[in-house]
Amino acid sequence: MNYPFWPLEFAGGGLLIATIAIVHVYLAHFAIGGGLFLVITEIKGRRENNPAILDYVKLHARFFLLLTVVLGGLTGVGIWFTISVLNPAATSTLIHLFLFAWASEWLCFLGEIISIFIYYYAFDRLSPRDHLLVGWLYFAFAWLSLFFINGIIDFMLTPGDWLTTGSFWAAFFNPTFWPALFFRTFLALITTGLFGFVTAASLKDGKLRLNLLRYCALWLLLPFALFVASACWYRQVLPAGLTELIFQRMPEARDYFESFLIFSALLLPGGIGMAIHQPARISRVLAGIMLAVGLLNLGAFEFLRESGRRPFVIPGYMYANAIRPTDLERTTSIGVLRTARWVNFREITPADEKRSGREVYNLLCLACHSLGGPLNAIQDRLAGHTAEQVEQIIFEMGNLRPYMPPFAGNSQEREALLAYLGTLK
Amino acid sequence: MEIASLIPAPDALPVHWLWLQLLLTLTTFLHLVAMNLMLGSGIIALVTPYRLDGEIVALRRDIARTLPFTIALTINLGVAPLLFIQVLFGQFFYTSSVLMASLWLTLVGLLIVGYYAAYMFTMRYKALGKSQLWLGIAVLFLALVGFIFTNNLSLMQQPASWSAWFANRSGWLINLSDTALLPRYLHFLTSAVAIGGLGVAFYYEMRKRRGDNSGEKWRRRGCNWFSYANIVNFPIGFWFLGFIPASAYDGSTWSGRLFILLLAATFIGIAKAIIAAQRCFVIPTTCWALATIFFMTLARDLLRFDYLRDYFSPAALPVQAQYSPLLLFLLLAAVMGWLIVWLLKAAGRTEVNR
Repeated sequence: MNYPFWPLEFAGGGLLIATIAIVHVYLAHFAIGGGLFLVITEIKGRRENNPAILDYVKLHARFFLLLTVVLGGLTGVGIWFTISVLNPAATSTLIHLFLFAWASEWLCFLGEIISIFIYYYAFDRLSPRDHLLVGWLYFAFAWLSLFFINGIIDFMLTPGDWLTTGSFWAAFFNPTFWPALFFRTFLALITTGLFGFVTAASLKDGKLRLNLLRYCALWLLLPFALFVASACWYRQVLPAGLTELIFQRMPEARDYFESFLIFSALLLPGGIGMAIHQPARISRVLAGIMLAVGLLNLGAFEFLRESGRRPFVIPGYMYANAIRPTDLERTTSIGVLRTARWVNFREITPADEKRSGREVYNLLCLACHSLGGPLNAIQDRLAGHTAEQVEQIIFEMGNLRPYMPPFAGNSQEREALLAYLGTLK
Repeated sequence: MEIASLIPAPDALPVHWLWLQLLLTLTTFLHLVAMNLMLGSGIIALVTPYRLDGEIVALRRDIARTLPFTIALTINLGVAPLLFIQVLFGQFFYTSSVLMASLWLTLVGLLIVGYYAAYMFTMRYKALGKSQLWLGIAVLFLALVGFIFTNNLSLMQQPASWSAWFANRSGWLINLSDTALLPRYLHFLTSAVAIGGLGVAFYYEMRKRRGDNSGEKWRRRGCNWFSYANIVNFPIGFWFLGFIPASAYDGSTWSGRLFILLLAATFIGIAKAIIAAQRCFVIPTTCWALATIFFMTLARDLLRFDYLRDYFSPAALPVQAQYSPLLLFLLLAAVMGWLIVWLLKAAGRTEVNR
């Protein structure tokens, strides 16, 4: 209730942040595993004394640089910008709490940029020893970036003892920190194989192409069992209430979970298929399909993880609409319009009821429900419900519907909201 | 409407505010140097012909080679001050970002397109020939990014302008009520040309020191770019100064006296730099120019406090001190500094990798 809001109607309901975040997270995983891929493949090329493989490493390094530094780096900045305008209160909490974790990650990002530029641009100039060292350093910086960001991301799912102690370390090494770190590390290796298919399939030399496609398939297939094991560990450490919410009480989460299982399972036969000899054109098409499967797999997982946070943005501390549980008593008695700093209406009059209801909607609902957009549109949720049923849903929020925050306004505001929702049908 | 009632309650700082101000000033300085170098060299490349006297101009080609790296460095070095400003001035900065949210997010798109355009210019340099399309897009978009930043910082430090949100929530607010907005932006744009020129001179100075005299002409021209852009910047700077609050340079307050002192140091620094540049003494010019940018960064920070004086006191911010993460960061910064030095030294070594 502290900050102004940006009335993002069609692209609301998480569409904007989901689009940017999924693209970024996919590229970020590639940026981590891809660093290891570059050095290991370079070692392979040197051991086999095969200049064609070294040429491939250079080609892949260029593709890697263009994709991860530009699009990967800037979508990362984009996530930060987006969350800061969609939920400034939560962003401020995260930035204040994790300031030096972000700052440490920034240092790693600096190291990543310098080392990957040197790795690519000095490819033919440095001694093999120095060049490989630069590559190893890049990988170390990239993995450390994951280490720092992982602590923050998983805090947003399981804040653990931070809720009672307020300690940075309790927040950072939260209950899901370690399984998530392993899970994402193995996912990064799998993702690397998927991106490797793209550059390997583009090679003209058929023998080299098959050799490298099989090599990339190993990057996908070898860590797969460990990826599955770490996913099980991840699920096991989730608090019981959270597991119940995700896997039993939230219908959309079940869809995301099933999608994640299906796309994960598709990776295995896809990886084996890529290793089978086939014409170049087929390999290229299959590489594109596999890349899309990887993106959908990651997208399903991230949607699932995000669902687990509902109705909170920081579990136990702040709801998705930036209301804190500790504020509820005040907002439900005084009214959310009188509590918020940035509103046009503080008093509800019969003439302004619908417009005031819209303001209540902006404050309490817009964070999750778009207006006519493709993601979680309020019109879809209202379809087929009478006004009485909608009112009943509002009463059930936070109890029978645990994935929604309790309605944080007073009775007059509830009436105004219902009047506004009535105009949307 | 009472403006103070719109200002959100701040979150607690994790360390004493002076640590944050110190880190903000240092990283802003680094970002400004990189940004000036990037944008200024881009503008210089844009106005430099592809061929001169029948030969492909080396300057334009050499800038093309460095542009992807200076852009990456500028973006990276911009992350840190953005982080520290969000902690120290979060209640102002988040608010201004929401007020111009559409414009603020457009910035990310502009950066992506501008950065890829720079790569197109670099990677297809010969094939593109005289075409200015990709470089033009890169420079234009990067310059627009600068304007968006200027607008956000202007909105942030002038809460009186925030009430515009109640009539326009589209996220496209430009703080036209700030008379200093345009001169402030032009001042930075002209500074960028000056530092871009100095970067050119420095680059060819380094080559000269390694025994390569082929860029002597561009070394001299770089010095000229630096001098003339700075001379043009003097009236723009006075234009900018004319619109800042009088309290900023009120000699009866300690902050006013400090601001005047910093301005004086800036004038001396830039005058010394121009004199050295006219003699084409590149290293002294660089030292004076860096000192000037540092003084200007400090003056800018002081000016921000003055703008916000009615609404903000850093000492009054709540603190929930936890110093161990800061120690971890400082330790990592030391290790990273050492590794970066090693990386840069390694990059300078020339051997055969095959």
